[in-house]
Amino acid sequence: MTNTTQGTDSGLMLYAVVRADHIVPDGLVGLDDNPVELLTHGGLGAVVGEFTLDRPPGRRQDLTAYTRVVDALPAGGPVAPFRFGTVMPDARAVVDDVLGAQEQALGELLESLDGQIQYNLRATYVEDAVLAEIVEGDQRIRELRERTRALPEDLQDAGLRDRIRLGELVSHQWERLAHADADTLLAELSPTLTAHVLRREPGAEAVLDAALLVAVDRSQEVEDLLERLAADSHGRLRLRLVGPVAPYDFVGTS
Amino acid sequence: MTVQAQRRGGGYLDRPAPSGLADVVEIILDKGLVIDAYVRVSLVGIELLTIDARIVIASVDTYLRFAEATNRLDLYEHGGKDLSEMVGDLQEGGASGKVSGAVKGAKKALTSGSDDDEGDDEDERPRRPRKASASSRRSSR
Repeated sequence: MTNTTQGTDSGLMLYAVVRADHIVPDGLVGLDDNPVELLTHGGLGAVVGEFTLDRPPGRRQDLTAYTRVVDALPAGGPVAPFRFGTVMPDARAVVDDVLGAQEQALGELLESLDGQIQYNLRATYVEDAVLAEIVEGDQRIRELRERTRALPEDLQDAGLRDRIRLGELVSHQWERLAHADADTLLAELSPTLTAHVLRREPGAEAVLDAALLVAVDRSQEVEDLLERLAADSHGRLRLRLVGPVAPYDFVGTS
Repeated sequence: MTVQAQRRGGGYLDRPAPSGLADVVEIILDKGLVIDAYVRVSLVGIELLTIDARIVIASVDTYLRFAEATNRLDLYEHGGKDLSEMVGDLQEGGASGKVSGAVKGAKKALTSGSDDDEGDDEDERPRRPRKASASSRRSSR
């Protein structure tokens, strides 16, 4: 079955697992502008749509079509999105090999996602503020900074070793602060969350990059708390909240 | 694209409405249910599109970037302001990240380049000026 793509003109793009009684919005179209349909087995449903197999999915309109479908579903009940690009040969394969084969696990998964939404939270440093903090707080960094700054442009290479050492020290401090601030943020948020996962370790790019699973009836509380945290750390941290989105990060894979 | 988009402004919390390809990729990249390998026909991910965006620039390159940003910092030159004053200035000046800017450059080069053409599945390299027809210069990793 693995190689059924060969010689097959089209397959079924899998968008999400839902409950069998899920109401899929009328007129919803997915990749290739094909209408989506609900295949059911027991208490489970799979939202699928025809997909031509003459090319791998991955074009811009494929990605947006996929998210358009998945994002249209949550109003009708819990949604477990399939990873983008999952294609099965036909309806029977979807029913037998996906819904049937993993009936219990998928049912439990939907249960755990019922009434939950996902937010993506990213916290980044206001760079100069944090660099200033780091310079102020470390004697060695201050000294190295003075020494490497004093070098004229054309002699910069001569100070390469010092500059690398300076950058190394600064970047280590940066990481240390990022971990500490990520912990602080999560400690504040945790009581309001159903779950969270780190999408990326705290580091140079982001202090915190996390997916938050939140009960719908606590979403306002979470948003208010984040608004307060953003105000409190204003000037040092920037908080960016995207969502709600479908619970992409809470379907048991990563 | 989400249930609720950009409802209120004015707060300190940034609430962008995800719209562009970059946002979509960010949200769905490597996420979602993966079904058993032997039954799937194809799981054609978007790894090619995004793998380079996630590079972690480690070691010397990063260190030099940090050193540069640290040295560029006007810490004492403004008559020895304390940190809180400086932060205020930075806010007003809309100072943007330099180190993080550099680090994020990889992602930006990729995603914004992908946003306006059909070459989304091209294996673009980060940190290459994308104006220079990045998509036609396939990398030869």
